[in-house]
Parts: sequence; structure tokens; C-alpha cells
Amino acid sequence: MDFQVIGKVLPRKDGIAKVCGKEPFASDIVVPHMLYAVTLRSEHAHAEILKIDTSEAESMGAVCITPTEVPDFTYNERTVSIPEKTYCDRKVLPRRVRHVGEAIAAVAAETEELAFRAMQAIKVEYNVLPSVLDPEEAMKPEAESLYDEILLGKQQLKVKHNVACERNIVIGDPEAGFAAADYIVERDYDLPRIYHHQMETKTVVCQPEANGGITVWTTTQTIHNVRQLLGQIFELPLSKINVKKLSIGGSFGSSIQMNSMIPICVALALKARCPVKLVSSREDDIHDHVKFPARIKLKVGVTKDAKIVAADMRVLVDIGAHQINSYPLLGCMSGWYASLYKWQDFRFDGTAVYTNKVPGCAMQGYGNPEVNFAVESHMDVIANECGFDPIEFRLKNYVGIGDEFWGQGPTVKSIIKSCGVEEMLAVGAEKIGWSERQSSQAKTGRYRKGVGIARGFHTSGTGGPKPGEVIDYSSATIKINEDGTVDVLSPVMDLGGGTGEATVKVVAELLKVPYDKVELAIVDTRTTGYDVNTHATRGVYCGCGAALHVAKQVKTKLLEFASRILEENPDDLDLSYEPEEKKTIIHVKRFKQKQISIGEVAKLAQIYSWGTIAVSDSYRQRNCPPCFVAHFIEVEVDTWTGIVKVPRAILLADSGTPINPDMLEGQLIGSLSRGLGYAAYESTENDLETGKLLCGGFITDNKIPTSCEMPLMDNIEVYFAHTYEPTGPFGAKGIGEAALNSVAAAYANAIYNAIGIRFYHTPITPERILQALEGGASVEN
Amino acid sequence: MEKRLIKVTINGKLRELFVKPNDLLLNVLRNDLNLMGTKYGCGIGECGACTVLLDGQTALACLILAVTVDGQEITTIEGMGDPAQLHPLQESFIEHGAVQCGFCTPGMLLAGEALLKENPNPNEEEIREYLRGNLCRCTGYAAIVKAIKSEAKCQSADPGTLSE
Amino acid sequence: MKTNTKILASEFEYLECPTLAEALNCLSKYNGKAKILAGGTDLLIKMKSGLLQCQYLIFVKKIEALNYLISDKKTLRIGPMISLRSIEKNEQVKAYYSALFEAVRSMAATSVKNMATIGGNLCNGSPAADTAPPLLVYGATLKLSSIRGDRIVPVEEFFVGPSQTVLESDELLTEICLPDLGDQIGSSFLKLGRVSADIAKINVAVCLNRTGKSVGNCRIAFGSVAPTPIRIPEAEEILKGQEMSDELIVKAAKAAAGLIKPITDKRSTNSYRQQVSKVILEEGIRSAWQRAGGEL
Repeated sequence: MDFQVIGKVLPRKDGIAKVCGKEPFASDIVVPHMLYAVTLRSEHAHAEILKIDTSEAESMGAVCITPTEVPDFTYNERTVSIPEKTYCDRKVLPRRVRHVGEAIAAVAAETEELAFRAMQAIKVEYNVLPSVLDPEEAMKPEAESLYDEILLGKQQLKVKHNVACERNIVIGDPEAGFAAADYIVERDYDLPRIYHHQMETKTVVCQPEANGGITVWTTTQTIHNVRQLLGQIFELPLSKINVKKLSIGGSFGSSIQMNSMIPICVALALKARCPVKLVSSREDDIHDHVKFPARIKLKVGVTKDAKIVAADMRVLVDIGAHQINSYPLLGCMSGWYASLYKWQDFRFDGTAVYTNKVPGCAMQGYGNPEVNFAVESHMDVIANECGFDPIEFRLKNYVGIGDEFWGQGPTVKSIIKSCGVEEMLAVGAEKIGWSERQSSQAKTGRYRKGVGIARGFHTSGTGGPKPGEVIDYSSATIKINEDGTVDVLSPVMDLGGGTGEATVKVVAELLKVPYDKVELAIVDTRTTGYDVNTHATRGVYCGCGAALHVAKQVKTKLLEFASRILEENPDDLDLSYEPEEKKTIIHVKRFKQKQISIGEVAKLAQIYSWGTIAVSDSYRQRNCPPCFVAHFIEVEVDTWTGIVKVPRAILLADSGTPINPDMLEGQLIGSLSRGLGYAAYESTENDLETGKLLCGGFITDNKIPTSCEMPLMDNIEVYFAHTYEPTGPFGAKGIGEAALNSVAAAYANAIYNAIGIRFYHTPITPERILQALEGGASVEN
Repeated sequence: MEKRLIKVTINGKLRELFVKPNDLLLNVLRNDLNLMGTKYGCGIGECGACTVLLDGQTALACLILAVTVDGQEITTIEGMGDPAQLHPLQESFIEHGAVQCGFCTPGMLLAGEALLKENPNPNEEEIREYLRGNLCRCTGYAAIVKAIKSEAKCQSADPGTLSE
Repeated sequence: MKTNTKILASEFEYLECPTLAEALNCLSKYNGKAKILAGGTDLLIKMKSGLLQCQYLIFVKKIEALNYLISDKKTLRIGPMISLRSIEKNEQVKAYYSALFEAVRSMAATSVKNMATIGGNLCNGSPAADTAPPLLVYGATLKLSSIRGDRIVPVEEFFVGPSQTVLESDELLTEICLPDLGDQIGSSFLKLGRVSADIAKINVAVCLNRTGKSVGNCRIAFGSVAPTPIRIPEAEEILKGQEMSDELIVKAAKAAAGLIKPITDKRSTNSYRQQVSKVILEEGIRSAWQRAGGEL
């Protein structure tokens, strides 16, 4: 398709500010007379707080808050699901701490040093309780309980054996399916907790306003949900709460929720009656959030002719001390599993368990990288054991065009209308030289190379034909200025991936306005309609979907005003861009001589007092199309040291129409780096005696890949499938989370191909590789 | 603690500052001078978000006591170029999609600039090695490396610097 | 959890000493109450994380008299306040002291190396300090000075335990001296970390002389396998005076691996360290031998 701006490589709108260090992030916000805050965090994994003495801190001139001085409100910081499916167990400040590093009190003072010293002067008396640090142990009857009761919506709910929530789904008759299978393959997989490691630590600045309201600047993926939850907690009218939209220094899911430090800062500001800034130290941040780990048991039944007939997946998620979003997580995990292959008859049993650890929360993929690692490793295991070609086996069973896709668990489904799986697998196989691939038995010597493939997807948004358990719609306001330039007011947070630029391009394309004449306005919750969240890879598909929906109405309005001026029927008019004059004109169809520029229309509309050409509206996408990916990764294993290098990687994506091809590439390569981290390096685990993080809260011992761990530029190839999503804005789907999902499995499959050892747990460290090489292949690896 | 007077040239301008012995350079730049482009990332010298140039060499402002830089010269990202007159490397970063969330960007740019001063035509391995202390969670580094490499090519292809 | 790495909360009196004499006077005057600040890349982290407190902080990095690297091809004298980056970029070091060059090259980020000093790296007393194994195999000596006078300590005797050295509380490391290593020497350093520029899981340095086809003098030192960086004299003895061969290298490396007793910690496991010690030592010996002009 021939587009004017869609698919063109154009400079980021925030690029200049960002390269000059002038783009404000929440941590850069300064408000006159603000105080600096720090939190006091628990040293214990599990304890009742008997007493908090803040007198010394207060005598130092600090303002303190303790659990008794904040609203006693039980909440779940992620408010994406409908209220009756939201499990709530969190307090602004708890009277019982449930993990090392949980905030129990907070202090504000004129300087951060003073606040810190005052915090150190607070005395806390604890009644230390036994802690529960292993999810399997946690479910035993004798285990200490983290909660007696929590809330489901407004209903009280008893917690039994630390089980936070469960989801059991059966489709068809799996037992009959297994009975018909020629082969049944069963394995256990284990994926670790890892830290998001977003570069900006979580931050909040809260300014109490003269009208009794508050203004909030914070790291978040959703300004509107922050506003609404603060309204509930502090019983403030929403009209008096304003949350500003800012750039965020990376998120990867860590700010999908209203971060728990936000109400703490608000409570401090309201008590101090002056602005308060609370910036997490890195060690605070590491104790705040972590990717959900998963233990997955997977059993799949296959016939001799490589047709899958049954599957059974059991998932245990150690969610840590709070449910940030474990019920929808389990639903989504069932959906990622259900939508990878046609299992025919299958079962999903998911259990989320409380432990005394840092609470798990969404992280790029939301259960998908975990499920994908298990399923895509399993596909290779089956192919190997049953003698199938791994690619043909996948192609024979994958969920594709015309099939049902579970975009957000069992209640959000739509039919797949665009799919580049076959194209990507064919192109990837060709590029990596799949046909020349040798088995591990053929490899000898110290350094052994291997090639692995894995495929995956993610949803684009959480829309469906019917409303499900997840809220999904977005809003936009678009205004034609009196010189023909365009203002776009979007509540959609851009986490760095280029959602903002995509929005501009979609509006520019529809209104035939050049990219540089459309600007994103600086907005907040007051000046925008609702958008649920930049999550679920929905920025482009849903956010730009709403912008397109509004732009179409603006176009109608423009044509209507122009028709009055040109004295023509609006249906006979059209918009086009005149590159030589650098202006957008409205003209009579097939008769360009009769024309007027959109700037002139807007100006005349003002002079004639017809009004501003602007529209504000919301829009819900009624589909959740999957964006597909495939990863072909080559590894080189040093069998003497266990060190693995990645000489080559081919990243293939079906994102529909690529709106920002450069940023799409950036998302894929960035995800390769995070995926390699997940596969090979990262683990943010706890000491199983004390519950303390092994890294102590410092990134020195919580490594992410550096510039040297990545393949060289010329050895990373990116390929976009040629697809068009009929329901997406100009044919576009998402990419964000999909880009990561199959990296770890492709890496593990490549290692298997290199050395003949299958790894079922990540990270696959040199230590584990060497140990396995000594001990031989085993399901324990 | 008693404050001390230090004289520091920051982005070409001589400043007289009163600082406490335990004030970190990072916080003096951000809080006292409102130079917000220098970021706090980890506080222990592991991430590079607070990279500045100290007498032309990269240094980490989170591990420098401000009192110790008396008499020295500091360049922050704000001194590298401004929106009206971008440094060529800043332009290259925009052009090559090297910016995503933008939080590591100032440190990356200053490190890239120091590298090109030291080694005007680095190969890819040299660039990667030089940047290994600047963590980026978004980009996977490729676009950043590309932006620096391309700028290196531009510089070395500048007819003014060729001997022929 | 009582740390905050955004700030340095602890209070102290700051003393800047532009000359060595002043620094030694201060150290003596505030004996036991003062800490020495050089590059700050270890000290400030320890202070931020509450592992270290002090009443006085003596800043010595700007003492010009301690910032030098003098090589006369026979010996090398290093001022402890020289930055790791300056050592890395020094042509003499690169040409003649391969182990030291490879060690500083493998260390940390460029910015950290611009700030950090070799003196600081040694006095911090980490078992993983990358500059220690090269200095051990070069047989370096350290000059420790106080107003009471100077003393020379072989680097082997300098480290006592994790974060512990023989440095008295009024003493300052004032020179690192590498002796004449003789002719036809070769040295090497290898390290394994988790990612690039990381703290070593394990590191090793080798320095040897070649006499024709045989090994003359030889030293081997490991880091991160014991409470201090250590030499492995038994493995050195296997090589000394012997005709070089692949078998000999394997034998020495195997012996060394059997002698070290590394621990399991958050960075690696004891068995991994033991296994790879053999691999990196073999490689280290090979490359030192080749640098000494030997053939294999």
C-alpha cells in the first residue's frame, strides 16, 4: 500500500529533547518548596508491626507517616480488570510486612539526607513470624499463612493454604485425546524471578493544591488508573486529582499498576501540606517488583503423523507477597498456551501462591515468555523424540488464520485475520541455513555451534467482540489549528517504543498532513479521555485505533466546513497533500483546481465564528489480533567453560503494516537483548533462609546484558512479514511484547542443537552448562 | 558539616559553589544547578546513567564527591549541544533510532563523544567495549553502536581531516 | 533496609591533601578515625551501603607525586594514584607487562577506570581485585609509608583477608614496584565474569621466563578462589626447569585446580571455579610461553 507517512523513517518527536537531556522524567520534576521523602522498609520477610516510634524522627524536623496515619483501604494497584475480578490485598502502609523491603513508614524533610537520617531514627518493634519462601511448601497445611482474608471486588474471601487464586480450564476431553496419542511427552520447566531493570527507578511527586486537590507526576503506564485509584484511596473527587503524562525511563511492565509508592507520597504530601518528591533508590526499586516466575508441567500427546491431539499444562506461580495481577495473569497464561498450537483437547490448571517475597508483576509478555519457553522447548523435545522436523511439526499444528485467538485469557477472544507465520518460518529457515543444520552428535571439539528456532506471538490489545474481564478502550482529541497544523491529545503513555510517533503518523496519514505539522500535546488526566493502560501490546493497535477513529471525525468536520466555503456537497470533496506548496488541501474530487487549504478552512471557521475543528472521542477495538514473531538463533558453546556466545540472530516479526519500521526494529533488537538476559544471565532470587534478595538490592550482582553480550550489528537480521491486519489502523498490529516471547526458547533449542543437552530452567548459566556436560543430559537440567 | 567553596567550570562557565563534603556531584548538578540530563540510575557506578565528562574524560557523578572536583572542568549533556545547535553525535542518535525511553541517552552520548575524541575511527568491538559500562534496557545497543559508528565515519570522511 | 545510594548520608570531615607529607600527617593525626579516598569507586559504595564509616576522609588522589608510571625496561615503578585507565593506555605496560595490561583492560567500565586508581584497587583488599594476580606473578613490592617511616612489603604478604590488608591505619601505599623480570619473559592474565567488565568469578595471572625450550622462573596466581588473591607454588614447581610441552601445561593446570579451594557464592559455584581454573590456567601458561618467544 502506498502511504504518505506510515512506514516512513522519521525522527522521534521527543528525540531532540531526549538527546539534549531536556526531556523531563518524573524524577526531574521540581516543585517550589517541595520536601524529599524516603521510605522505611522492612528487614524481615514476615512480621507483625507492633509499634512504630517516630518521635525522634519528628524531633529532627521530619514529617512521618505510619500505617495508622494513612487511609485504611485495601486495594490492588492494577486496575485493568473489571472490579469483580480484582483481588485486593494491599494497604497504603501495612500493619504486617510480608516481604523484605516492603515499605512500612515514610518520612519527608527538607533535604533527602535529613529525611534519610530521620528514617534511620524511626524505631520499629516487630513480632517476627515464620516466613514462607517456597511456593510448594507454602501450599502445605502446616505452612504459615500470609493472609486470612482478602477482597475479591468488594467481597471478602478466605485464603486457604496461601493460594491466592486459581484458574482451571478444560476444553474438550483431554483424557480421550491422550488415549488416542501415539506419543506422550511430559516435562517440567522452571522460569525464574527476574528484575525489570528499567533505567528510571519508580518516582512520584505530589503537590497538594489550594482547592484541596492534588497534582501528581509519576512513573506510570496509565495516568487515568493512577488518578482513579488515588481518588478511591483518599476519597478525593477525581476532578481535583490531576496526573501528568510524562516520559518514563523504561518500564517493561513494572509500572502497569499504580505503584504502591504513589499513595505513600500522596499521604505524606497531604500530611505535610506541601509538595513531596519520592524517588526510589535502585535498592528500593529492586525490592518493589519482579517478573512472575513459573513452574510449568507440560504434557502433550501426538500421533505418528505429527498431529497434536491433547495437552495438559499445570502452572504454579510464586507471586510473592501481593496480588498485583495474578488472576488475569493465569488467564493470560492459559490463553498464550491455548493459542500457540491446536492442542485439540486440553487442560490448563494454574495456581498462584503467596510467598514472603517481592510481589511479582507484569513484565514484557505477561506470562507469555514463561509459557512460550515451556511450549517451544517442548515442541523441540517432541520433534526430537518422535523424529519430526521441528519447523514442519510447528507448521502442521500452529494456530493461524481463521482460528480463534485468546488475546487475554478465556474471556477475550477473536478470530485471526492476518498471519505471517508460514512466511517467517520459511524466510528464517532460509536465512539461517536450516537445511544444513546438523544434529549435536555430529559436533565435536571445544567450541560447538548450534541453531535453534522458536516462534511466538503476543496479543495486540485486549479488545474483543464482547467485553471480557479486561477493560479496553482508548481516547483521543484532535484539533486543527488555524494555520493547518494539528494538535493531538492522547492519554496513551509512550514507554519509549514509539507509540507517540505512531499516533502522529496515523493522524497525519488520514488527514494528509505532513508529519512535522502534527504535534503531541503535553497532557494530563484532565485534558484527555480515558485510556486503560499501555500494556498488552496495545499502544499502536488500540491507541492509534482511537486516534484514527477521531481523525476520521475531524476529517468529516473539515470537509463539512470546507463544503460551506466551497459551496459543494461534502461527499464530493476530498483531502490531499500538495508537496510543492507544502500544504494540505480540500478539493473537489477529480477537480483539484477548486480547492482550499485546511489552514484556511480552520481560519475561516474562526472568522465566521463556526467554531474550532476538533473532536474528542473514545474507541474500543473489537478484536485482539496476534502479532507473530519467530526467532532463529545461533549459539556457540565453549564446552570447556560453559560460556555461550551468540554469533547470529534472525528476528522475524508479523506486526501487520510497520508504522515505525526503525522503531519496530529497535523493539525487536531490544527484546533480543532482554531475551538473552532472561535465557542466560538474569535471576533475582531470594535467600531461602532469610528471604533477603541474593543481590542485596544492588545491580552489581543482578546482571543484565551489556553492549558486549549482543551479536555484532551485521549479524542481527530483522525481517518483517508482509501482512495487513484488516482491523488495525492502516493494517497495523502491535509488536512490543511479542518481540521478546520466543527468544529464550530459541536460545535453549540452539544450545540443545550444539551440545545435545536440554535445559528446562533459565537462566542457562555457564555453571549449569558445565555441570550438565559433566553429568550428561537429564530432565534435571 | 561545613560547606566549602569550590570553583568548577561547568559546560564552559566558571561556577563558584558551596558544597557539603558529602554532597555527590550528581546531586549538585541536578539539585543545585538544575542540570537534569545527568541521571541517577544505580548509585554505585554500575549503569552509566550519571556519566559526565571530567576534564574531558568520562566519569560517574554518583561516585564523585563534589568537593573533590574543585578546579576541574565538567561537561554534562546540556553542554554537549542544545536543541538549536545539536552536536553531530546527537543528530546521529536521532537519525539511527538510538533513542527509545531516553534515560540512558545522555550518558551514552557523552561516552560516545569521549570515545570519538580518543579514537576517531573505532571499530564495532571498540565501540561496544567502550560502552559496556552504560546500560540500556530498551535498545539492545545496536542502534546506539550504529549511531556512533556512523558519526565516526562522517568525521573520518570529512575532507578537512584527510591528508590527501 | 537502610541504604540510599542516591545520596551519601554519612557525615565526615573532609581533608584534602595536595602533598604526601600532609596526607601522612593527617593519617597520623587522625589515626584510626580516618579513611583514605582515592578514586572513590569502591570506597563511596562501601560508605553508601553502610559497610564503612569514618570521621575523617582524606582525599589523596590529587597528590601529583603519587601519580606516575616510570619504566626503564628493567623495572616498573607505579605511583598508586595513577588511574587504571592510564595504566591501560601506557605503551610500556602494553608491550612488556601483558598480564597487568590484560587485567586493567578486563576491568570495569571506562568511566570507572578513569576514576579508579591502582592503589585503591589493591588497598580495597578484594579477593577478586584484578590487579592483584598480575602483581603477584611479577613479584611486585609495595612501599607503605607513614610518618614513622617507610616499609617495603612483598605484594604476597599484603593481603590478609577479604577487605583486609597489612596496611596500618596511619599508613599509605606510596609505590608499587615491579622488579627486573629478566629476559625472555612472558605474562598473561585471564578472567571469567558473568558479563563484560564484571567482577571476576575467577581470574588468573601467569608470568614465566624461557630458557630455550624450558621454563625458567615461573609464577602463577589466582583471584576469587580464596579469601585473598593467592599464588600456587606447587603448580609453579611443576613448570620450573622443565621442557615446555602441552602435557606439562595440562599437568600444572590440573595440579593447580586440585589445590585451590574456592567457595560457592552469588557469583559462581566452587565446582565451576575449580573446573575452569584448569582451562584458564592452561590458556594463561600457553600465552605467557608464546609471549616469552616459546613455541608449542
